[in-house]
Amino acid sequence: MVNSLKNGAQMKIQQMAFMIVAVLIFFVLVGLAFIGWQFIGIKDNFNNLQKEQAIASIRTISDMPEFNCDSRRSLCVDEDKLIVMANSSYSGFWNVASIRAYKILEKKSYLVYDSKQKNRKEFSTYVLICKKITGNYEKCDIGKLSVGVVDG
Amino acid sequence: MKSVILVSCLWGWSMVKKNKGQQEMVGFVLIVAIVLIALMVFLVISIRNKTEFKQSDDVENFVNVLMMHTTECAIVYEPDYDNVNDLIKSCYNNRKCTNLNKMACDYLNESLNQIMEKVMETDASVSAYEVDIAYENNEERSYVIPQILKGNCSGSVYGGQQLISVESGRIIALVKFCYN
Repeated sequence: MVNSLKNGAQMKIQQMAFMIVAVLIFFVLVGLAFIGWQFIGIKDNFNNLQKEQAIASIRTISDMPEFNCDSRRSLCVDEDKLIVMANSSYSGFWNVASIRAYKILEKKSYLVYDSKQKNRKEFSTYVLICKKITGNYEKCDIGKLSVGVVDG
Repeated sequence: MKSVILVSCLWGWSMVKKNKGQQEMVGFVLIVAIVLIALMVFLVISIRNKTEFKQSDDVENFVNVLMMHTTECAIVYEPDYDNVNDLIKSCYNNRKCTNLNKMACDYLNESLNQIMEKVMETDASVSAYEVDIAYENNEERSYVIPQILKGNCSGSVYGGQQLISVESGRIIALVKFCYN
């Protein structure tokens, strides 16, 4: 009788130990999943911050008098200025690896500058590419201004 | 007498065992319930994160640029072409592109579809998009043109919007991009 009671108690202790281990493993797994999820968020945030910084640089470049339509509009590039800049030798002026602009609908591209450096990363954002037609009228198209920066 | 005592002892023992078994079942059910609740909370959080969109400078720039894009539609005379912002207002006021002999809304729908197709072609990271042009005031909300949707979204959704004031309300131009 005493032996069977002892065996029963041991079984109970064993069951409880297994249960505790199972619950512990479950919470460890949940914790690992949560940490993994948080790390994905951190990586996303890092990429977003990097992109936002690049967009701010692109905005600065597009707002330069060498490119912009007029001083009142941001992210607006004059197509005539692009044509002139694409055919000029301003190579020492730019502090970036490359500058390229292209119109999305017409698939027209302007390479303003290319240092031909290999280890570079390209960032781009949407800009308005405008051209005067007659008098006060102008035609503006959706374009992208892409800037290459040396990676690492 | 001895047999009566033995039977009552056995009955008492089986009752104790039954109670223990019930306690264990209650404990097991409790653990399962806690795990289920934790899973449901996790699911709700992940689903909620997937449906809403994050603000993005890039998409915000795209919406601003899109609104200033010059269209082929001249409401009064050529070359006074409407940009997308003006074309949305013309559509809301039910006007017509006189040079194209088309209703402003039909042309707006057509050209937005065309622009979005081209954007998706040039940007490989965009797997899906959504464009909503909707009028709203304090009482109602209605689409100015049908919702433009394309692609299957399996990544992160980023959006940007612009507000256009019209009499007695406003039009919201909302663009969402799904990036892989």
